Amino acid sequence: MSAQTAGPETLGSLSDEPEHQDPNSQQAKEISGKSPMRIALGRLAKDKIAVVCAVVVLFFVFCAVFAGPICALFGVSLETPLASERVDGLNNGLPKPEMGPPNGDFTWEHPMGVAPRTGEDNLAYWLYGCRVSLTIAFVATMIASIVGVIVGLLAGFLGGAVDRVLSFFVDMFLTIPFLLAALTLAPILNERFNTSPDYPTIQKFSLVMVLALFGWMGTARLIRGEVLALREREFVQAARVMGMPTSRILFKELLPNLAAPIIISVSLMLPAFVALEAGLAYLGIGVTDGVSWGQTILKAATPTYFREYPQYLWQPLLGIVALVLSLNLLGDAVRDALDPKTRR
Amino acid sequence: MKRNKPLALVAGAALLTLAACGGGSSDEGETGEGTNREFGDQEGGTKDASLQGPAAEVEGATEGGTITVYLAGDPGPDSLDPTGGWSVTGNSIQQALTSRSLTQYIRDEEGQPVLVPDLATDLGTANEDFTEWTFTIREDATWEDGKPVTPEEVAFGICRSLDSEAFPSGPGTKYSKDYFAGGADYEGPYTGKDPQCENWDGVTVNGQDITISMEKPFPEMDYWGAFMAMGPAPLGNASKPPNYGTKPLSNGPYKVESYKPNEELVLVRNDQWAPESDPGRHQYADEFVFKFNQDQAKVDEIMLSDNADSQTAVSASLGSDKYNDANAQLGDRLVQQTSQCVSTLTPDYTKITEIEVRKALAYAYPYEDVWIAGGEVPGVTRIPANSIMPPGMAGKKDFQVDGEQITYDPEKAKELLAEAGYEDGYEITMVYYEVDPLAKATQDQITKGFEASGFTVNAIPVQESPYNVWLDPDNKVNKKLNLRGVNWCSDWPSASTMIPPLLGGDEVYNTAFFKEAAVDEEIDRIVTEVPMDEQPAAWGDLDEMIMTDYFPIIPTAFRNDLFVFGTKIGNPTGDGSIGAPNYKDLYVMQ
Repeated sequence: MSAQTAGPETLGSLSDEPEHQDPNSQQAKEISGKSPMRIALGRLAKDKIAVVCAVVVLFFVFCAVFAGPICALFGVSLETPLASERVDGLNNGLPKPEMGPPNGDFTWEHPMGVAPRTGEDNLAYWLYGCRVSLTIAFVATMIASIVGVIVGLLAGFLGGAVDRVLSFFVDMFLTIPFLLAALTLAPILNERFNTSPDYPTIQKFSLVMVLALFGWMGTARLIRGEVLALREREFVQAARVMGMPTSRILFKELLPNLAAPIIISVSLMLPAFVALEAGLAYLGIGVTDGVSWGQTILKAATPTYFREYPQYLWQPLLGIVALVLSLNLLGDAVRDALDPKTRR
Repeated sequence: MKRNKPLALVAGAALLTLAACGGGSSDEGETGEGTNREFGDQEGGTKDASLQGPAAEVEGATEGGTITVYLAGDPGPDSLDPTGGWSVTGNSIQQALTSRSLTQYIRDEEGQPVLVPDLATDLGTANEDFTEWTFTIREDATWEDGKPVTPEEVAFGICRSLDSEAFPSGPGTKYSKDYFAGGADYEGPYTGKDPQCENWDGVTVNGQDITISMEKPFPEMDYWGAFMAMGPAPLGNASKPPNYGTKPLSNGPYKVESYKPNEELVLVRNDQWAPESDPGRHQYADEFVFKFNQDQAKVDEIMLSDNADSQTAVSASLGSDKYNDANAQLGDRLVQQTSQCVSTLTPDYTKITEIEVRKALAYAYPYEDVWIAGGEVPGVTRIPANSIMPPGMAGKKDFQVDGEQITYDPEKAKELLAEAGYEDGYEITMVYYEVDPLAKATQDQITKGFEASGFTVNAIPVQESPYNVWLDPDNKVNKKLNLRGVNWCSDWPSASTMIPPLLGGDEVYNTAFFKEAAVDEEIDRIVTEVPMDEQPAAWGDLDEMIMTDYFPIIPTAFRNDLFVFGTKIGNPTGDGSIGAPNYKDLYVMQ
């Protein structure tokens, strides 16, 4: 963000209090009449990194949403081909020359080549892998944030026994090792649901649940802390004195003031879940139907394929790195933009 | 015995090989360099009852040095107790280097395994109907502490193999229990609280002779004698399990220096071993180091780098993605070895009752695509199969059920389905191991092939070994299946270790639930009535009869192993009797 805004920032806080400043100053005139959100968006738009990251994220979202049409456009699909039609079993299972790199020239039939051993189309798997990654991360983030916010609000505002009970659960979930729990849950869910025709959907749903189950505590703590500070403020006390019901105080008075920390925690949770989804798929306990960047990396990460056909590993890897990095940087930028104390 | 991973479906490059041994023939297939590696002719094993120690010197062999053996993706044996060993990895190492038994195999000049005497002075003598076998124990064999191996100790070792509770996964649970007189009722020296083995009279010692009485005729006792379970154990508490399994007393050319299960086994020279007493083993290297649970990719890199470490190393497997590099670079240091194993699909005989449907499945299975997707090299580590008996087994017939090798042919499969009256499709329910991407990839290929042939496929993902599902009659998933699979290897070069366990009426590994009185009677007749020298042909006929008349099992591939030897390892060969590197004859070039 630009330097002019440094003045009001030092005074600002997460409140609706009027800002103490010289009402005749240049800056004051510029920002007068703008909501805090408008100010933040304005700052974001001036942040080059944020803009680039937003474009990258939008690109991935576009790929995920339109995976089907894009595949149709290129004439590729997730369908399993007969392996011997596309790869050479006597040449380390690498793609045949007419399938494109590494042994042949680029071909529009398979713009990103085909996978060794199976001959599946890399572009289709990349696009649908992007969709799986983003869907799971997005839904898990939503659930984790909503749970975290509600728990944080209740614990912070109600205090007393409610706070102690909720804080106990927060601490308890923090102590459970995430990987261990995921490893244990995978076979249990498999055992229970593997004969169901919707098994892949159930698997993704359970993955979302596992991620959410172990992702809400950070938000809850953050919100609880903020609420503890806010609830002693005059406007909350005034609302109480006027006899507002607790739910109204929580959602109409407190929640708008928590927009910044919530957006920040969401923007940092998303990339973390994208990375976790891929990590779990790599370990074979997340998505196991093959349509996931993590699973592609697992198949590609052998010394032979990396030496002879590095694109195969780079494609999903670049997808994950670009998506996680830009989500992270964008999250940072959003945090900076929303935080009035930031000086740059 | 089974292969641990059901590789018909779970075709991993890392073979986890549990359970056991043997096999009739071998050849290292060095017919050419480059990609046209082919297998030479294979023969059934032979016997030489008169061979005496010391073993013939390997030409050019020198003493000294350390040989490191990498066993990728293989946890190795859980225990070194000879009585409990029933795995390709454990038995191949211990039988070759530390634990002697009644008989053993050597590798002849053509690379074929020959059954020769070991602790016995010959291959044993049987009475007329093979219900009593007598072995004369040689007097000059010694333990690593210098004491002689006595017939009483051999008899005690044999007695131990009957304790199926102390050694639940030992081979004695099948052969000793089935064949030895009173074996089925005797609980064993440990479970039965009979530490001297006084309550079982199936084996008697008379001077240097031990005589084993059989419950039923057992003409293949000499082959069974090559299992280390048919060897000596120190009397009394000295060999009490499970402690004995951590450091068994050696009587072979090497003794255990240190053993960390699933990690490392170090064997060093046993200076008490007398070469004159042993017709089969050598003592060239100073030390053997076996490294278990190695990463295949890492081992491949080490072996192909030809650095100081890898020059004296051996790898018992090769990742298929390295086959081309290895083939071009290593020449005759890359050894192919038939493992006397067959991969099969087993349609449930009680559910898929029409032979046309079973044949349609055979035509619908995209063999080569499955191998490629599973990381195998078609024609090298997997070759097309025509029947249950693996190539080289005595009596094996070169027939084809439909006149020619069954290959992937969806049109033919559709015709067969239509013939059986299923124009509208036929549902196949099977399982696959979803944790392994290779297994998932092979399942995709199978599904693709089956669906192209008019089947509908319901593939159920499981997170445990499919064997756990297939072999558990109460498993709810198993009850739904109508297509399973088994990979089976022979225990010794006889079809009696292939056909009865896979297709006998109520056998554990008969996952097809195939049961035909005619076949069971014929199996019974061959085992009990047909003279020994006519048995192979009888098995061959039965093999053809079963496949032609019933086609109850779809053999998808015969299997081969690949071994890699460092440039300073002398005599790089495989052991055809068990499907492992030929540890007995290796040496380090000085």
